[in-house]
Amino acid sequence: MAVKPPQTAMLGVTAVNAIEGLLAPVEARSPADDGALIASVKRGDPGSREALYHRYKRRVYGLALRIVGAGDAEEVAQEAFIRIFRGLPKFRGDAALSTWIYRLAVNAALSHRTRRAGARLPVDDNQAEAGIDGQAAAEPVGGDAVLRTRLERALAELPAGYRTVVVLHDVEGLEHEEIAQILNCHVGTSKSQLHKARARLRAILAAGGITASALEND
Amino acid sequence: MAQSELHPCARWPGETLSAYLDGDLPPEQSAEVHAHLDGCAACAAVLAQLGALAGAARRLDLPEPPPTLWMAVEGAAERHDRPWWRSLRLFAVGATAGAAAVSVAALGLSWHAHRLSAASTAEVAPPPALAAQVAPDPLLDEAEAELAHAAAAYEKSIEKLRSLLEREEPRWSPDERARCAERLAQLDEAIAHSRELARRSPGDATDSDQLFAAYRQKIEFLAEAVHRGGTFREAAPGR
Repeated sequence: MAVKPPQTAMLGVTAVNAIEGLLAPVEARSPADDGALIASVKRGDPGSREALYHRYKRRVYGLALRIVGAGDAEEVAQEAFIRIFRGLPKFRGDAALSTWIYRLAVNAALSHRTRRAGARLPVDDNQAEAGIDGQAAAEPVGGDAVLRTRLERALAELPAGYRTVVVLHDVEGLEHEEIAQILNCHVGTSKSQLHKARARLRAILAAGGITASALEND
Repeated sequence: MAQSELHPCARWPGETLSAYLDGDLPPEQSAEVHAHLDGCAACAAVLAQLGALAGAARRLDLPEPPPTLWMAVEGAAERHDRPWWRSLRLFAVGATAGAAAVSVAALGLSWHAHRLSAASTAEVAPPPALAAQVAPDPLLDEAEAELAHAAAAYEKSIEKLRSLLEREEPRWSPDERARCAERLAQLDEAIAHSRELARRSPGDATDSDQLFAAYRQKIEFLAEAVHRGGTFREAAPGR
């Protein structure tokens, strides 16, 4: 899996994670590689599930937050982890653990949206906007935070299918081959969805007066 | 703002420029776009915007989930892992004690009706001197025996749940264990108080009901703690 290199803009988050790591004995004791962690969970080693959770919580929760919005993100992330723990004993390692986890998380998010639609509850694509707004509101008001909020809002305006591909590729940094496995589609479909989504995203941002230079300075 | 105003050149749509950016176009088309970009400021601007957009998306933070998420996941996973017979066992423990309580409650009602009936005939009751010679009320004796029987059934259920809890507790945090012990001490105090009231007025349905309610509250709490682990709910002591 393509792992995003640390970004200067995320230095604060990285530092916080490092401190959290020191304070999290379960994580600190967890096996360094996914294969050993999977084996540990399969054996039922104490704390192994928690270690797996901490390793993937931000990716799973972030994905849920951006697909279903803040109101349902916790419920969806919980459902995703239940599916992960339930399915792990049968996980054969045909795909990378991260790819498999993303697949379960995306499925949990999309089936949640379908259930909500089936129950005639409002499926509000802009819930994600509300959630990200809430997070951004806690940050110091500044150019970067405002731009991130605008970008998150624009993401929330995309149809769920487009949004999922953009989040997986551009935000999470996955390759199209992995996205195709996660979404059970062809690589070409993943690519065309991404390019259509980006074009629409660009149009939304441009309509809001967000320029390339503003985004580059984010 | 109309789409055409956002991208005034109609030669290549945004999605093609995005594909060009990622190197996803066939070589011939890529060369064609490349040549076009040299002379088209509008398409070059869109391309720059798409590139900046992808970069900005990559810099978005991965949000931290709320701290309650792990507790919810762990609780739900444990419920799923629990063998069906264990849930049945918890149910059976409560049901046994509940059945005993129902029989005592029924007996208590009978005894209460009997006492009312006795009060209505007080005018013809024998004088105190003779009362001592009157044989003890068999219904009252039976009510006391049933009370003791029901209390024993509750105690037995509590004992079983306590043994299950003792197996779970080592996995809890010290804080969770302390909160559990504190809550159990409150419930024990409520049971002791109710038991004393019931002992003072044998056959009084209200007092025995209060005692059974205290037992049930403790059983519910223990079952909840065994079921949910250290994330048990803090029931109000006076519930």
